[in-house]
Amino acid sequence: MSSVPIMRLDVVSEFPYKHSTGETIGRFLAGLKEQKKIWGQRVAGLGVVVPPLGYSEADGSAGGEWVEVKPTGVVTAVAVVHEAVEGLHPFPAPFAFVLVKLDGADTAMAHVVKDGVEQLRIGTRVEAVWAPDEARIGSIRDIACFKVAS
Amino acid sequence: MAKLRNVAIVGFAQAPIVVRDEHRVASEILYPQVRRALADCGVERDAIDYQVAGSADYVDGRPFGFVAALDVTGTWPPRQDLHLEMDAAFAAHYAWIRMQAGDCDTAIVCGYGKNSEGEPEHVLNLELDPYYQAPLGLGPTSTAALQASAFMARTGTTDRTLAEVAARNRTAGVRNPDALVRARATADDLERTPWAVAPLRKGYLAPTGDSAVCVVLATEGKAEKMCERPAWIRGVDQRIERQTLGSRDLSASAGARLAAEKALAMAGVGAREADVVELAATNPAEELILLEALGIGPSDAVNPSGGPLCGHPFMMTGLIRLGEAFRQLAGRAGDHAVPRARTAIAHATLGHCLQQNLFFVLGTERRWT
Amino acid sequence: MNEPPKEPVKYVETTIHLPYHYVAGDVRARYLHALKEKKILGARCSKAGKIFVPPLVASPESFAPCEEFIEIAACGVVTTYCVVNIPVIGRNIEIPYVAASVALDGADISIFAMIQECKPEDVRMGMRVEAVWKPDGERQGDHEDIQYFRPTGEPDAPRESFLHRL
Repeated sequence: MSSVPIMRLDVVSEFPYKHSTGETIGRFLAGLKEQKKIWGQRVAGLGVVVPPLGYSEADGSAGGEWVEVKPTGVVTAVAVVHEAVEGLHPFPAPFAFVLVKLDGADTAMAHVVKDGVEQLRIGTRVEAVWAPDEARIGSIRDIACFKVAS
Repeated sequence: MAKLRNVAIVGFAQAPIVVRDEHRVASEILYPQVRRALADCGVERDAIDYQVAGSADYVDGRPFGFVAALDVTGTWPPRQDLHLEMDAAFAAHYAWIRMQAGDCDTAIVCGYGKNSEGEPEHVLNLELDPYYQAPLGLGPTSTAALQASAFMARTGTTDRTLAEVAARNRTAGVRNPDALVRARATADDLERTPWAVAPLRKGYLAPTGDSAVCVVLATEGKAEKMCERPAWIRGVDQRIERQTLGSRDLSASAGARLAAEKALAMAGVGAREADVVELAATNPAEELILLEALGIGPSDAVNPSGGPLCGHPFMMTGLIRLGEAFRQLAGRAGDHAVPRARTAIAHATLGHCLQQNLFFVLGTERRWT
Repeated sequence: MNEPPKEPVKYVETTIHLPYHYVAGDVRARYLHALKEKKILGARCSKAGKIFVPPLVASPESFAPCEEFIEIAACGVVTTYCVVNIPVIGRNIEIPYVAASVALDGADISIFAMIQECKPEDVRMGMRVEAVWKPDGERQGDHEDIQYFRPTGEPDAPRESFLHRL
């Protein structure tokens, strides 16, 4: 049977999705787009959650008051990518994924750092870099990336 | 605690892991393993009450691919069947639960799916929420690296230690004929491999590949007829943590700690008594995090099969850990046998950064009499 | 302002991008390569003798391996069918069209095929049909090597001859 010529097929499957956001996620994203502000929600068991989900991951209770957090914070985890995955990664290598605990938040937010990744350590202070007005669409990438704070 | 039914692993067949099988599709790799697992137990398919499988269609891009697998598991006349979109180890847990409910006495648990046909970084990006995490382009290697960085910062673990953990797994894998990677590698070798996603080097990552697995479970009364030395399930538990990476303490695994504690309590043994500890750790930092959760240190009892670092057929890796634990207790581990193994722990995981953890505790003696 | 905007952003749009690298596997590859030669292959169950088209590595019914490859005729019987009035996205098929199960002579199960060269209302269970192949030089060794099936004009097959092969 191994004399049968091998048949291979390379295919890229693409599916367009339009995910409804709901009120909490939708308003958080509107905050990024229109106000250049980062909002969290104070929820049971976790404190101020950024970005907010509309409920507490600790006990499932519905989310509480909106709390604005600063666009600056502390890195709590760092992953420096040395070989970017095409069609998936936002930048050529090297760049970093980070978890950032923004000033005023009790949870960390996942995001990316484009430049100066060799300076990143756990504890490094970083600040948000906003996408230009016309490029902000209501996406987590309305924050284009974070950079090491000056 | 309540008296439960004694259930044992009585059979395990696995296709040797290869990087890419260009001659067979997933169900064709599975078929001989189902036949062999049943033959080893000395039974026909009719003797099996229940079948359950674990796989994920996205792995090899075949919608309803798990339906094709029904063609090779003896599903006629119509059988009781279930499929989980999870590592097949969770399917084994499910079968155990059905046996506790009295629904069945025997089951086959299958894992299959060709990792080589898909790209795990793209596929597993979809395990993350589409609003905040997936759009960043995170994949399993980058999230694992985030966790590794948090663990190393908290514990002071060095790159060298990761290299040593990886090297120990690689040494063990040399003696496992089913492993994908059977070449020894020293800590020096692995420490010199380039960064994949720092702090994880390429030499610390688990190589994916193609395989298929069939495990046979049976309750007391039947198990003894199907296997000379059944591996009795003395305890089992699974726990899941939150979805959002930033709302978890990634530097430790609270879920693994709790699941291990519950499974060991059910089993009536301590982790230190385990002669074999098979962990579905896909990088050395995960192994150290899991060992910390178990309260034991690194040793030769950990991954005598070589573990996922010697072959990680995603969605089957956990079931293979269970099968390897069975082999050790049943005296079928050949060249990679741990002598006089009486108690084994087998672990499976799903999701990013050890989000979900399952522990089986097996023994050569029944738990409930 | 002590709250984000009242109007939420309604959607997050994503295009999921998944690259795949399939192999047909030897069994399917052999079947597809044979189509290029205008041959249709089936496989015989080693236990019950049932013939499956396209070929399978094992019989889903008996659980026994299929060891022998058999050449199947390129003509057979419409066992059941439907008339489709909805266009297919990404394919250029004139509607209405007839999608049918065709039990080829020598096969114990049916394959799916389009029926053309007749009016949809003339198609019926038991109608004898034959394959229309792509011309020599155009066949690639894939499912489209058979373009469609057309009626042969022979008398209908009796029901007993195909009801177990629906």
